Amino acid sequence: MSASRAETLEQLARLCRNGREGPPPRVEPSGSASLDAVLPGGGWQSGTIVELMPVSDGIGELRLLMPALAKITQSERHVAMIAPPYIPFAPALLRHGLRLEHFWIIRAQSAADILWSAEQTLRCKSFGAVLAWPSAIRDREVRRLQLAAEAGSSIGFVYRPPSAAHESSPAAVRLRLQADAVGQLNVDIVKCRGARAGMSLAVGGLESAGRQRLTANT
Amino acid sequence: MLWLCITLPQLPLEALQCEQGERPTLVTVLEGNVRSVVCCNPAAERIGLQPAMNFTTALAILPEVIAMERRLTAEQAALERLATWAYQFSGTVILGELFADLQRARTTALWLEIGASLRLFGGFRKLIEQLEAELGKLSYSYQLGIAPTLEGAALLARTGVRVAITTPAALRARIESISVHSLNLDPWITQQLQSVGVRTVGLLLALPRDGIAKRFGPEVCNYLDRLTGAAPDPRPTYRLPPKYHARFEFDAEIHSTEALLFPLRRMLREFVGFLRARDTGVQKFTLRFVHRDTVATVIHVGLSMPDRSSERFLTLARERLEHTELPSASVALELSAETFAMPTGLNVDMLSGATEHGEELGHTLDRIVARLGENQVHGVKAVAEHRPEHSWTTAAAEDRRPPLDFPDRPLWLLPEPKPLQLSGMPALTGAERIESGWWDGGDVRRDYFIARTQQGAALWIFKDLRDGSWHLHGFWS
Repeated sequence: MSASRAETLEQLARLCRNGREGPPPRVEPSGSASLDAVLPGGGWQSGTIVELMPVSDGIGELRLLMPALAKITQSERHVAMIAPPYIPFAPALLRHGLRLEHFWIIRAQSAADILWSAEQTLRCKSFGAVLAWPSAIRDREVRRLQLAAEAGSSIGFVYRPPSAAHESSPAAVRLRLQADAVGQLNVDIVKCRGARAGMSLAVGGLESAGRQRLTANT
Repeated sequence: MLWLCITLPQLPLEALQCEQGERPTLVTVLEGNVRSVVCCNPAAERIGLQPAMNFTTALAILPEVIAMERRLTAEQAALERLATWAYQFSGTVILGELFADLQRARTTALWLEIGASLRLFGGFRKLIEQLEAELGKLSYSYQLGIAPTLEGAALLARTGVRVAITTPAALRARIESISVHSLNLDPWITQQLQSVGVRTVGLLLALPRDGIAKRFGPEVCNYLDRLTGAAPDPRPTYRLPPKYHARFEFDAEIHSTEALLFPLRRMLREFVGFLRARDTGVQKFTLRFVHRDTVATVIHVGLSMPDRSSERFLTLARERLEHTELPSASVALELSAETFAMPTGLNVDMLSGATEHGEELGHTLDRIVARLGENQVHGVKAVAEHRPEHSWTTAAAEDRRPPLDFPDRPLWLLPEPKPLQLSGMPALTGAERIESGWWDGGDVRRDYFIARTQQGAALWIFKDLRDGSWHLHGFWS
């Protein structure tokens, strides 16, 4: 009885969604089963803003997204990095399976230009994912990016300093990233629509083949 | 032959400015030693100023009226831009003469042969509707006339007869009641005709021709024959230039970017008319803002794919303009384009999602490039090179095929290797020797390692084998 009621509700919800927002959001699996289990929709969901707050550079903050980015570029959609802190290294991107024909770097300088470029690319239906490193971002701007991501059904990954974890933000998913001494990436769920905040997950298995070999040698 | 005549009664004013000013404005001309009003904007007309009025009288009515000097070069430029634009509606365009005298300053005309275009545009009404819609956006005041002769069409346009006349007989019947003042004749001739009681075109046409010729000269008869279609009226047709170059001279210096958008908008629309006429598009065009005493500011507007949308052109040009510091006020604006290419979006199936996809990508990237600058948006590709800093390069979209299989590399590379001060030797893994580049002077001899920090970060560091120094070169992020 209650099961059929749940089904009806689900159907209604789908009908409402179809009428209002068009097709249901696309979901890109993160490549980590434990992470997918807590992410809304079971992976990186289009039309959302995800905030990533790594405690330092080089802990796997980019590797975390590589399976999804590779899949997006392989399905003919584009990926943009806006104001990345370093050079996204082409040989490594290739090894992670990214199709470079669908990969763009946008060297915006000012905070306003970075957010504007992020909004433009998110809104564009050709982009599946946009990674941005804004020098500063306010709630209002996160909401703007959120609307742009919905309009373009793309995923916005916004990298922020670890201190931002103490502030609130309208982003749907907020993850604090750190690594342990042997380089295991840990994802702390600061906020996650539909999941319990405060959880911490060890995320592995995201290394490219060659790197797994290297770490195995240690 | 069926001619559509566009007369431009306000051209002396509208060639100099294209926004309808709130302040009373007029254009004057000096004939002999009398300065007279050629035309005025609606704001000036509302307070009683009118064409042909003595300028002294006008000043007496409104001392603070804005007065501009008539400039024939600006009118000629505007007329030519308009002729180029008009080519999209007809393969035969004839430019009217510009008359320096006050009487005929408001009769400047342009003709399009539309008999051949009717079927192409789906009939008379559709052609006129489309033409008027486009013409309205250019913000010129105009009147239209349609007749089988050039002078007939011009006469109908000047007198505001908005009925398409397609045969010489119908034309003659239609113009009989029109006053001789409306004819394209020397003013003293019409004065004379009036004084002897010949008030209408019908009365004039009824007079014996040799009598008219004797009294007013053979040109009058010749004009009447061309008007009615009794004699041919051959004139040179306007040729579409192979390259596009248009110039808009402003009457006053324009200081604000916002005010520059008015002429820019008109010019881009005229430009798109040219592109339609040529059935092509552009990927690059150039704007030149001419200043009085400094070198002109040149803005190149590039698009990722050929296009011919004036709205998109304007968005991009505007974005560039807002990020460009003009050294001083502008006195003229030039628009030029040399190479043309068929817009990709137009010659493919419009239902194909892939094209729309690609098109939208292009437009988005164009906007970003317009705002951030040419070199700020790019792709990357890998290069078959041992030295890490040379194993990648920025790349255009077409050219990003992966060359070879690469050894494992970190996702972040530093723009320059950063010297490291190592206090103790960290745990190192993944040793790789890279020696290369002696042939071009950029030789490297390095041992690369992965170093793990206490925070768990994986650094890509190397020891320079030439001097033993350590450097950070990337992050295994």
